[in-house]
Amino acid sequence: MSGTARPHRWIDRERLGYGEICAAVADPIQRRGPGRAWIIAFLGVLPFVLATVIAIGAVLTVGIGLSGVNTTVVWGFSIANYVWWIGIGNAGTLISSMLLLTRQHWRASINRFAEAMTLFAAAIAGIFPIIHLGRPLYAYWLAPYPNTMDLWPQWRSALVWDFWAILSYLLFSLIFWFTGLLPDLATMRDRARSRIGRRFYGALALGWRGSARHWAVYESFHKAMAALAVPLVCSVHSIVGLDFAASLMPGWQESIFPPYFVVGAMYSGFAMVVVLAIFIRWGLKLQAVITPSHFDAMAKVMLFASVVMTLSYATEWFMGWYGGEHADRAVIAYFFTGDYRWLYYSLLFCNCLVPQALWFARVRLNFWALAIIAIVINLGMWLERILIVWNTLSHGHAVSLWRTYHVSVYDVVILIAPLGLFAFGFLVLARIFPIVSIHEVSQLAHDEGAARGGTA
Amino acid sequence: MTVAPVVADDVVGEIGVAIPLAITVRSASESSASSTFLLGLPEGAFIADQIHGLRVVGEAAVVEISDWNLANLTVTLLPADSLGATDVFAEAAILDLYDPDRSRTVTERVNGIASWDMFERALGGPLATVRAARGRGLHLVTGRVTSPTLARQIGGLLHALPEAVWHVHEPVDDGNAARGAERAFGRPLRALPRLDRAETILCVGADPLGAGPDQIRLSRAFAERRRDPARFGRLYVAEAALTPTGIKADARRAVHPLDQPAVLAVIADALGAGLPVPALPEEVRRFARAAADDLKAQEGRALVLAGPALAPDLHALTHWINARLRAPVDFIAPPDRIEGRDPATLADLAAALDRGGVTCLALLGTDPVATAPADLDLGKRIARARFSVHAGLHGDETAGATHWHLPLTHELENWSDLRATDGTASLVQPLLRPLYDGRSLHEILPLFAGLGATAGHALVRETWRETWRETWRERGGADFEGWWRRILHDGLIEDTAAPLLDPGAPRLVSPRLVSPPESRRPEDLAIELRPDSCLWDGRFANNAWLQECPKPISKQVWGNALALSRKEAARRGLEAGDVVRASVGGRSLEVPVAIESGVAEGVGVLTLGYGRERAGAIGNGIGADAFRLATQASPWLVTNVELRKAGRSETILRTQNDVVIEGETKTLFRQIDLAALSEAEPKGIGADQPSLLDPWKGDADGHAWAMVIDTDACIGCNACVVACQSENNVPVVGPEEIARGRMMHWLRVDLYDAGSPEAPRAGFQPVPCMHCERAPCEPVCPVAASVHDGEGLNLQVYNRCVGTRFCEANCPYKVRRFNFFGYADGQPYANLGAESVKAQRNPNVTVRARGVMEKCTYCIQRIASERQAAGRDGRPMEEVATACQSACPTRAIRFGDLAKPGNPIAPLRQDPRHYALMEELNTRPRTTYLANLRSPNPALKEDRT
Repeated sequence: MSGTARPHRWIDRERLGYGEICAAVADPIQRRGPGRAWIIAFLGVLPFVLATVIAIGAVLTVGIGLSGVNTTVVWGFSIANYVWWIGIGNAGTLISSMLLLTRQHWRASINRFAEAMTLFAAAIAGIFPIIHLGRPLYAYWLAPYPNTMDLWPQWRSALVWDFWAILSYLLFSLIFWFTGLLPDLATMRDRARSRIGRRFYGALALGWRGSARHWAVYESFHKAMAALAVPLVCSVHSIVGLDFAASLMPGWQESIFPPYFVVGAMYSGFAMVVVLAIFIRWGLKLQAVITPSHFDAMAKVMLFASVVMTLSYATEWFMGWYGGEHADRAVIAYFFTGDYRWLYYSLLFCNCLVPQALWFARVRLNFWALAIIAIVINLGMWLERILIVWNTLSHGHAVSLWRTYHVSVYDVVILIAPLGLFAFGFLVLARIFPIVSIHEVSQLAHDEGAARGGTA
Repeated sequence: MTVAPVVADDVVGEIGVAIPLAITVRSASESSASSTFLLGLPEGAFIADQIHGLRVVGEAAVVEISDWNLANLTVTLLPADSLGATDVFAEAAILDLYDPDRSRTVTERVNGIASWDMFERALGGPLATVRAARGRGLHLVTGRVTSPTLARQIGGLLHALPEAVWHVHEPVDDGNAARGAERAFGRPLRALPRLDRAETILCVGADPLGAGPDQIRLSRAFAERRRDPARFGRLYVAEAALTPTGIKADARRAVHPLDQPAVLAVIADALGAGLPVPALPEEVRRFARAAADDLKAQEGRALVLAGPALAPDLHALTHWINARLRAPVDFIAPPDRIEGRDPATLADLAAALDRGGVTCLALLGTDPVATAPADLDLGKRIARARFSVHAGLHGDETAGATHWHLPLTHELENWSDLRATDGTASLVQPLLRPLYDGRSLHEILPLFAGLGATAGHALVRETWRETWRETWRERGGADFEGWWRRILHDGLIEDTAAPLLDPGAPRLVSPRLVSPPESRRPEDLAIELRPDSCLWDGRFANNAWLQECPKPISKQVWGNALALSRKEAARRGLEAGDVVRASVGGRSLEVPVAIESGVAEGVGVLTLGYGRERAGAIGNGIGADAFRLATQASPWLVTNVELRKAGRSETILRTQNDVVIEGETKTLFRQIDLAALSEAEPKGIGADQPSLLDPWKGDADGHAWAMVIDTDACIGCNACVVACQSENNVPVVGPEEIARGRMMHWLRVDLYDAGSPEAPRAGFQPVPCMHCERAPCEPVCPVAASVHDGEGLNLQVYNRCVGTRFCEANCPYKVRRFNFFGYADGQPYANLGAESVKAQRNPNVTVRARGVMEKCTYCIQRIASERQAAGRDGRPMEEVATACQSACPTRAIRFGDLAKPGNPIAPLRQDPRHYALMEELNTRPRTTYLANLRSPNPALKEDRT
């Protein structure tokens, strides 16, 4: 492996002291201005943010008819986007918690922004089920709140489970992310020069002093949260899978859906982390802490997920045929021969074929190739989600009402523009909070032996 | 509560009598559901109640259309064994009444808004001129006149002004049949085929089950007879493109219109006519021979029907064939003549206009500028009249060509009378005070006779007072008032059916049989023009319900298209949606191509009534105006048409794209051969299957509502679709929304075809909500907006719905409809948000808001009304009829209570033809079906299943 040429596997500098780590992460925020690249990027994403706001405003005032949904294909981009974003959101917590529990220390460099990614993605994902409603103002009816009519949600509906899944996942992600941030907030507080900075970080640091007792509590709490996260990550996407599987539509009513959705989420999530890591590494000049070995590890995870996804698709086809149910067979045939067949072939190309390049180390260590593959995977995973919706609904049991989806301008806007909102979130975050975990990278540097002789 | 009518003074433009008696009597004595409008006299606020009252007592009060003149529409009570059904046009009439585009006032071309007084003054001059010339220069143009009062009035006018000319223009007429009968029998006769007695029937270009004035009578007779397997008979159809009759056929061939005469000739020869038979494609010849053998074998119960496009000689030949077959056909004197007078034609009018001999032209309730054959160019010619006036519901194309336009009252607003096709007279009674400053035709006609304005009520009464004096006085005593009240109550006037005549033996007329197929060049295209099953001749073009009503076969909405067969289109390099320019003899039009099954090679089929320029906000510019291709000489068949691509394409808007069923999807539409019926077993709803679920206990409240739909009786006429729309306030979504794949009809009529594009073997299947016992929509709704009640109804709680649409996603039948926009609530299509349209809505049914799901409720408001009535009267609930059921002309839809002993719905579920849609999904539907029956001729191998 080319990593052998480097002094340490997970730290790309012969010596990297604690002070240097602190400076590398905190100084861009506290000592330097935003910089030209940041301002250009910020101005670049503003139109997207505006477009998102306008699209949401339009759908609230004019109606969900703006979307391309129709009498037969009653779900569309909103649902696919929702599943896609929640999938992206999954990887952050997976990386953080699963890798923490399995003592994969290399996670230290990427877990912070992966968690932030979770937070933003889950928040954006949360918008879609609401704006997809016919009457979004009554979205809160899914919650069991006391009311004079004694009405409760309908607990048999997967959408109610989903409501809880998203809500708990969002709250959990926020707390988990914030917990991991605490020691760094204290560092920021201590390094802050302005009164406002000290107040701001001081308030958020919740009085962290870095005492051994603090660290002990922190460690156990963080580990406990991580242990909670794993089932939660699996449950949230399993339940998203159940939104489809708990039905009687051909192509949806499949017991493979929950695990298949979880792996799919991990797949697209890791791909998104790779894209972000490449950008952040370059943008914040964090080559020292985000190393090719990180990408190598993530690429292997993606490769694994790709194989599992391919197997899942094949299982779906096989079970469709082997089950013998006519409607199932018809839908599987429709995948390959129907109106969306080219999209389906693209999906297979993106999700199954292209990632096989990751078998080769040269590809895994080439950032350009990796970025392209990661983007292709994200595209493929979005296609997968929209085709799950479209194929089944377009070709269900009622032959007379078979029809296709008609993509509208609104659909395109809510597909593209939230990416800008996502980037906007990161840009703002990068100017306020340490985008890489200072304390965990310090620990990694210590473990790797790079920090020896350095000062904290 | 009074039963007697409140008679007001007879005032022109007023309805005179405040309460429609037919409903009053019925309601007061038997149904309280309609009492709202009884108590509240017809003032604005109660208008909606009143119209809906008409449907509330719908099982007895019937809106009936008679004859071609759809201006004749009556609310009448029929005897218990009556039809009690409607067709699609009658169902949609209420929307016409409230059409915001209706003319509201008299207008003059230059000065705009005018008044009746101003019109009368303006009419004074030209009228004096024509009166001085004993009527010379006065030309009246009307549609077909079936109203005895109108006939009396026109007769009187022509009597007073003998030189005046009366023209009749009925765009879709039966002129060929009338001339054919005259040629065969030597005198004018109207043939009334008896489909209840005819068992083996051959239709050559005829569509007796399709839309038309006789649809209800013919289709009812047809379907009722076929309910008895012993009298099922066999229906042969030779036609250019599929019609509802062709769908019901047991043997059908797509036959070029120019080959259709030869089919008749084969039949005639088999009966000994000895005509020379031109060459015919072999399969058609075998078909004709098989039909001939079958017809001969069934003498006395066999019948041949010729289509309206066939030449008079062929109709005469058909009469000869039917006489040979001793076919069950009744003959009466044509009921639409006035004192035996043959009205003049539009061609005569054109000639008179060219001569400059028209001093005063009155076009009453007809729109010839839009509907006359193109070569008459009436729009320009009308300008040559010294004074011209048009009376109509709308300021249509003809109104645009005349000096004056007079607003007519709608048929639901005025007094009139009419005769049905068999001559039976009935009274048209107003249901509400006129909305605008209109007058009825009866009230307008006296102006031309120089008489003062007279109220319609008085005129109609006068007609029947005379009739009573002549016929009934001896029989019924001296009390006219009592008799008048009785006929108002009964609706029908007894003993007014035209007496059946013995026509004598028809002559054998040898038709000119030319043009064997070889002489037709392959590039020649013949276009058959047909009345549209939704817009008829275009008079309903501004009715949004009818524009959005899917055509029975093509399922096209909001437009028409030139239907070609797959082969024909491929040969010409055309694809569905390609716009072509069809030109012939200097006339041309641009129309998109639709590819349809069952169209004969070398033929295109196009329906009339589209491409209107001044129909109104709904109908303007929708589709292509087929009248532009029609000529006086050949109004129904245009030959040697040249097709050229226009270089663009349009989307053909359809509500059903996939029709073909094969393999396992054939179970969606069960078809049984008559011969196999004795071995057929009823199929259940899947309740006999093993299940982990508890047995069904959902009908705890004592009722178990269910519906059984007989697909064999369904003729796809759409009366149920529009009845449901009108009853349940189902909004129109408009063409743009249809193009996006959205629609709102709670009830759709699916067409399924298990055959091939060349030989369709299809049938209709109305699909409302299945009200599944294990409804898949219920467990997926997160807010419990989709719930089951204790009577087996699957309910949708609109104000609880948040619009996740999971219910529709999970509905295997796809019967739920979503308000993507506020179609009925703030975001209506075109002008359908106008105040007048709101009055149409059924007050018993919620108008749904944007973002909520809706669907068929089994007309829960009707169930509720009956429950309230039963509770009030302390009796058990009686029959409830859903809107679709009461509209159905063939009684294909039955609704009832499975929990009620003796209810006819339960035995239907034991019928050998019974089956449920997708029972394998374990949904346990409450709406179930009876299979379609076919009786293919064993001699025609290719028809066997």
